[in-house]
Parts: sequence; C-alpha cells; structure tokens
Amino acid sequence: MLRYFAIRLFRALITIAMVVTFAFVVLRMSGDPAILIMGPEVPPEALEAFRKSWGLDQPIWVQYLNYFGAILRGDLGMSMRDNRPALDMVMDRIPATLALTVPALILKLAIGVPAGVWAALHQGTGFDRAVMVMAVAGFAIPSFILALVLVLVFAVTLGWLPSGGQGGVEHMILPVLTMGIGGAAALARFTRSAMLEVLGRPYIRTASAKGLPWASVVRGHALPNAAIPTVTLIGFLVGSLIAGAVVVESVFSWPGVGRMLVVAVGSRDLAVVQVILLLVAATMVTSNLIVDFLYGVLDPRLRQGARAA
Amino acid sequence: MADISAQAPFRLTLPRLPWYVWAALIWIVLVLVVAVFAPLLTPHPYTAMKLTNRFVPPFDRWTHPLGTDELGRDVLSRLIISVRISLLIAFGATLISAVLGTTLGFLAAHFRGWVEQLVLTLADFQAAMPFLIMALSVLAFFGNSLPLLIGLMGLYGWERYARVARGLAISANTQGYATAVTQLGAAPQRIYLRHILPNIASTLIVSMTLVFPEVILVESGLSFLGLGVQPPMTSLGNMVGYGRDYITRAPWIMLSPAVVIVLTTLAVSMLGDWLRDKLDPTLG
Amino acid sequence: MTALLTLDAVARAYVGRQGLFGRVTTVRAVDGVSLTLVRGETLGIVGESGSGKSTLGRMALGLETPDEGGVRAFDAPMPALGTPGWRALRRRMQMVFQDPLGALDRRLPVLDQVAEPLTIHAIGDAKARQDVAMAALQAVGLSSEQALRYPHALSGGQRQRVVIARALITDPDLLVCDEPVSALDVSIQAQVVNLLIDMQAARGLAMLFISHDLRVVRQIASRVAVMYLGRIIETGAAADVLRAPRHPYTRALVSAAPAPGRDRADRVILTGEPPNPAARPTGCAFHPRCPLVTDRCRTEAPVLSAIAPAHSAACHLLSTQTPPAAKAA
Repeated sequence: MLRYFAIRLFRALITIAMVVTFAFVVLRMSGDPAILIMGPEVPPEALEAFRKSWGLDQPIWVQYLNYFGAILRGDLGMSMRDNRPALDMVMDRIPATLALTVPALILKLAIGVPAGVWAALHQGTGFDRAVMVMAVAGFAIPSFILALVLVLVFAVTLGWLPSGGQGGVEHMILPVLTMGIGGAAALARFTRSAMLEVLGRPYIRTASAKGLPWASVVRGHALPNAAIPTVTLIGFLVGSLIAGAVVVESVFSWPGVGRMLVVAVGSRDLAVVQVILLLVAATMVTSNLIVDFLYGVLDPRLRQGARAA
Repeated sequence: MADISAQAPFRLTLPRLPWYVWAALIWIVLVLVVAVFAPLLTPHPYTAMKLTNRFVPPFDRWTHPLGTDELGRDVLSRLIISVRISLLIAFGATLISAVLGTTLGFLAAHFRGWVEQLVLTLADFQAAMPFLIMALSVLAFFGNSLPLLIGLMGLYGWERYARVARGLAISANTQGYATAVTQLGAAPQRIYLRHILPNIASTLIVSMTLVFPEVILVESGLSFLGLGVQPPMTSLGNMVGYGRDYITRAPWIMLSPAVVIVLTTLAVSMLGDWLRDKLDPTLG
Repeated sequence: MTALLTLDAVARAYVGRQGLFGRVTTVRAVDGVSLTLVRGETLGIVGESGSGKSTLGRMALGLETPDEGGVRAFDAPMPALGTPGWRALRRRMQMVFQDPLGALDRRLPVLDQVAEPLTIHAIGDAKARQDVAMAALQAVGLSSEQALRYPHALSGGQRQRVVIARALITDPDLLVCDEPVSALDVSIQAQVVNLLIDMQAARGLAMLFISHDLRVVRQIASRVAVMYLGRIIETGAAADVLRAPRHPYTRALVSAAPAPGRDRADRVILTGEPPNPAARPTGCAFHPRCPLVTDRCRTEAPVLSAIAPAHSAACHLLSTQTPPAAKAA
C-alpha cells in the first residue's frame, strides 16, 4: 500500500516536471527570449546586456536548471502586458472560475450519476434509451455550440437571462448549465456502462440467487464496485475544473482563468500562459493522486498490494 | 443436395445495418464528397464580399440559399470550404496521431525497458493533461499556421493508439505468430509491419473512428476561440466563432456550421461505436 | 561425428517476486545441462511440466541466452538473439511449436506463410518461392487448394503440417520440436509423428524432440534425456532408457505409460507433490517422491554418471563411484 502511493507520488512529480520541461522547451524553441521581450528594434548591446542579466548567455542546461529553480521558488515571471507577477494575476481570477465550475460539477454529479445508475438498472426501457440519446448528443454537441444555442434561446429570443458578463446569480445560470449538461451526459453514459458491467458479473447473480433482496444486492454489491471506475472519471472532471472553463468563459465573457488564458494566448503573454499551464497540471495531478488514494480505499485488491497497471 | 446458388434469385442485397448506421454513413459520404469537390460546388467564391448584400436571411434569395454574412459573403460557399478545411485538418491529424502512436507503441513493445517506461510516462502525461490547454500553450508560443495546426492536432489521442499497439504487440511477441516469425529469422520491421500491423489494424481503425470526431471538436473549439484556423481561411469552428458576434441579428451565420459540426461528430462517433461493438468490444 | 549442436553446462534462472513485498526468489529452470546432437539423430527430451525442457529447447535455438554455460551450433558460439548472425542462422535451425494455430498468422494464406522463410533469407525469386512452397505443402500432404486457405480453414493436424512445411522449407540441419503433437487429437498425433520421422529420414535432420509423452518419444527418438527440475537425471539410447529404466523417476514415468509387452504388475506409482521449481528440495531433487529414498539423498545431490556404456543416470543408488560432492568439499 505504502509502496503503491510512493510510486503514484513519484509519477505525479514526474508529470509536473514534464510540464515544466514542456514549457521550457516550447519557450526556448519559439524564439530568442531577449528579442521576444525587448522587441526587435532594440540595439544589440542592450540585447546582450539583457541576456547577461537573465542568464541567457549560459549553456542551455544551466538555463534549464535556473528555470527549474525559479519555478520551485515560486518565481513564475511577470506578465508582459500588465507588468505584474503572472502568478498574482492568475490567482486573482481563480475565484471567478470556481464560482462557475464548482456549481457545474455539482450539477454534473447530481444529474449524471443517478441517471446512469437508474438507466443501468432499467436497461432497455424508455428512460435508458433517453439517457443514451442524451449522452450521445451531449458528446456530439461541443460546449461552444450548446452555449450559443442557450444564449439564442434564453437571452436573445426569450430575454430571460443575460447573454454574458459578471453580475448576479442570473449571469451564472447559462454558463453553469452549459458546463453541467455536457458533463452530466458523459458521466451518465460512463456510470451506466460501469454499472452494467458490474451487474453482469457472476457475484451479482450469486448474491441475488442467494435470495438477497435486489435493492440490497444493488446497494451492497453493485454500487461499490461500479464506483471504482466512476471515481476515475469524477477525478478527471475535478482535475479539469479550470481547463473546462476555457470555452464557456470565453463565450459568456466571464472574467475567469479560462478567458484569461485565451486572451493571453492571443497576445502571446507567455508568463501568464505558463502559470495557467502549471496550475492546470497541478490540479490534474493532485486530483489524480486523490483518485489513486480513493482507489486504494475502494479496491481491496490494491490494499493487498497488487500492482496497478 | 439441391444446388442452393441456382435457386437464389439474383438481386443486389444491401448489408443488414441498423438504420442509424445507414444514416451516419450517408451523412459521412455526403460530407466527404463536399470536402473533395468543394471548389467545384461553391456557387460563389467563398471570400467574395458584396456589402450591398449583407445579412441576407436563408431561403430568401435563390442565389444565396443559406443567406449571407456581415460582409455579404455567401454562407453556403463558406460552409462548403469550411467542411473541406475542417476535414483536412481532422484527417491529417488523425493519420499523424495514428502513425505516431502506433510507432511509439511498437517501439515500446520491441525494446521494453526504459524505452517502454518513457513511452508509457509520456502517454500518461498526455492523457492527464487537458489537450486544449496544451494546444493553447503551443499556439501561444509558436503563433499559428495550417501545417502547425495539423501537426499539433496530430498529437491528439496518440497515447490511445500507443497503448493499444503496445499491448497487442507484446501479447503477439510473447506468444504466437510473432514468435514464430521471429524464429524464422525475420527482421523486426518485417514482423511489425507485415504481421503485427495487419493483425491489429481493425482495432486501430476502430480507435481512429473514435478519435476522429474528438479531433473535429477540438479543432472547431480552437478555431471558435480565434486561435485555430485564421482568416481569410475558414473552418467550421471559425465560422461559428465569427458568427457569434451577429447572433442577435443574423443567427444563421453560426447555425449552419454548428449543425454540420454536430451532425458530423454524431455520425462518425455512432459509426465508431457500432464498429467497436462489431469488431472489438474490448476497446474502452 | 561432429556435433551440430552442443550445450555445455547451460543454466537459466528466472527472478520472480512473490507479492509486492515478497522476497525475491530465483527459479532455476535449467540447472547445468550438457548435451550434444549429431546429424541424423533424434534426441528426445522427456519431463513433466516445470522440468525445464522447453527452456532448454529455447536455449538450444538461441531464443534465450543461458546465464551460465554456452551453446555452440555448427561449430560456432550461438550469436545473440536478434542479431543479423542469429537471424541468418535460422535458415539452418528451425522450430515446430506446440500450438500450430498460434504459430500461424491468421491474416495470410498458408502458402504465403510457408514461402515466407524463403523471402526472409532471400532465396529464389517471387515465382520460384511460390512454387517451392507449394511443393513443400504437397510434400506434407496438403492439396494445392488447401494451400490457398487461411489457417482457421484448416484442421489442427493440417495446420501442424503447414508449420512443419514452413520449418523445413529452408532445408535446415536442425529442428527443435516443442511438444509438437500434444495439442492435437490423439488420432492425428501418429500421422504427424510419422511425417516428422519420414522428413527426418529423407533429409538427415538432427532433431530435438521435446515431449512429456513417452509413447510419442519412444516412436521417434534414437536417444533420450529425462529431465527433472532443470537437470538431466537419466540419458542414453532410447531403447535402453525406455525399456530398462534405471533411475527411480524414469522407472515411474515408464511404468505410468502403457507399452506393449510389459507387465502391468510392476507399476511404480509416484506419490507426493509434483515438482515446483521455485522450491527445489535439498539433495536429490526427486527425494521427496522417491520410493527408495535414503538419508544421503536428502542432503547430497547426485551427479550424472555412467552406469553402462552410453547410459548415464544421476542417482546415489546406481553410482558406484565416490561422491564427487565429497571431493569438492
């Protein structure tokens, strides 16, 4: 068990290190940072001085180590547009993003999991088919189209809700619905198939053949086992709380991290992009670690130390 | 015994497929034909502006069946070219990703050891990081062009092919025909390309039909955000993105490409699901 | 006569771990086996599962590298697995597998697969390869129509004939057969064994024939080596070893296999646990199951020594010499 978590933790750290490396490589490959920051019309002596003061004249691996060290110290650079620490700028936007994504996550779970379980328990009924159709449609309709359709109906045609911006609760309804509906469909489909797979296993048939009431078979045997794969997906959803907001925040002009990323990419504000990249990686890795921990609790085989692939 | 073939009347029999698979196939063929013959099918040049003809609604004039946009350009013509560009990116990216992933999977299976660990770690990394964020970072650093966009989208989903190819190649290597062919003295490239690849092709094709619609969605998302295909070129997501500014006055500008995106992803993913159930139920 | 193949005290160990925290255990699958094979002879390797006989066969072909000892083929050391030298050597040494369906590619007609070794070793042109392969398939008893079929459209016996045709198409000098008939129906086994005997007689092949089935080995082998937990415990001419076995284990094996003209009354029944390579007993590995066990057997491992001309066994009760282990101590 301890070894299992040690391996997981190690892999998590490797992933973060790879993201940092990715950022470094991409940053260096994209051009001379001195010219990129100072501008092309700066005299060569000034460029040289800039390179010296930032350590850009040193060998590439020294630069890499310096870069790594700076990130470990929490020094993530200044935004080129606002001349503020990029980390502070991103942190300022996080509450706004969470204000959308946390309610959306609750909505996904509240609709997706019960719908999936219910559909699996009543396989082949109209409800099951409706869930499947919704799930397929939810996959095929990207969030930006769903968002625009919702805007078209509720903001433009009916005029009930604002089409964007930040304000009261009414501003949050459409973005949260957009994220919630798509995610709920995926979650329902996944929960349904996890549940169906468990229901087909011999021990379920044995349990019900023993004369156990069906409700307690489902509660005692099927649900805990179907929970294991579902927890993975929920972990992924938690990990993508920030990433999932990119499109929706852009459509609804919501001042969160996601929209900030799009703007930063558009204006090539590299420090901000890099902070968001690391932030996303960190949330993803953390939620994966939590999922692994839950796995250990939920799956007794892991407690006995079998190695997960 | 009677000669059965003599009794059977000669007629063209269509394969027995569920209706939704037929619908999906017909839509896919239609889209493919449009994409291939796009320049021949457009009623107007897709960039031709006519400012006196702005915001013509659909079905209003025969010359512009789907209406015109804010610059008086024909929406149908733009839609046809967009289908071509979006499919070009999706096909190119899916091919790159399948070749890349399968190659890395084979390398992992062949060398094992640290090569395998490296490929698996990269695959875990790719699967864990939201692709949109990574794509946005690359675009931020490198700027944008069509080849870069195709190459970037070609990184989408490679880890799935890599895992499938690695797993199947290892099982072929430890037992069965691959061992036998090794023992015949064949070089590795012969074993992988002539024996293992044809044996796992159906699984890889199923994976491709499952990845393809996701590529369309990611590309249209990027283009929607204004960070994918750049004007004057156009793509489906790009049309939706620019049409969004006129959602109140001229919703048709964004609705027709939106419908094409949804129907195409729907069709390909339904076909993929059906193929998976038929050929390879083990794929996740 | 010069040896085609020589194994000199080869050993192969696998490292395993029992559970996540379990201690690392070393399983010596093959433990110091020497043997030679000359042109035209068939050496039968007999043993239960876990005796290391398949590992031995794989080492003989260079598919596995011994941890200790060495393998020489055609008067040269065995090249490393996968090297060009090793690949080129495949033309001269081939293998017949236990599961013919698994050994064939489901996606190619069998004719193409039989022709493949010719392509790999660049023998002849495309047309000639097809003709040679067709002739080879007909020589093992398949029709030209069957040659165009895919493996799943053939019967188990026909598939094994295809595998044999493929193994023999480059005209090799050495053939290793690993349980070639045990996956086949009993009624088919004799046909395939007879085919192998005919092919060997016609070509002067040397054959290493690995099997747990004494009846089959008796049919085909000129010499026999009996393996128990990674070591050869008795070896000699097939007639001697199988008619008049000396080692208690061989006697048990022989008596368990029905043979014509032998009294069933003197059957020796093996008792105790089947051998587990991960927990090798001390002394003679066979002692927990041996009906004639003595104290010496529990502490001291017997070595293979001559008990008659061209007949050796590893048993304290048969050896008349002083124990070499005492000399070494």
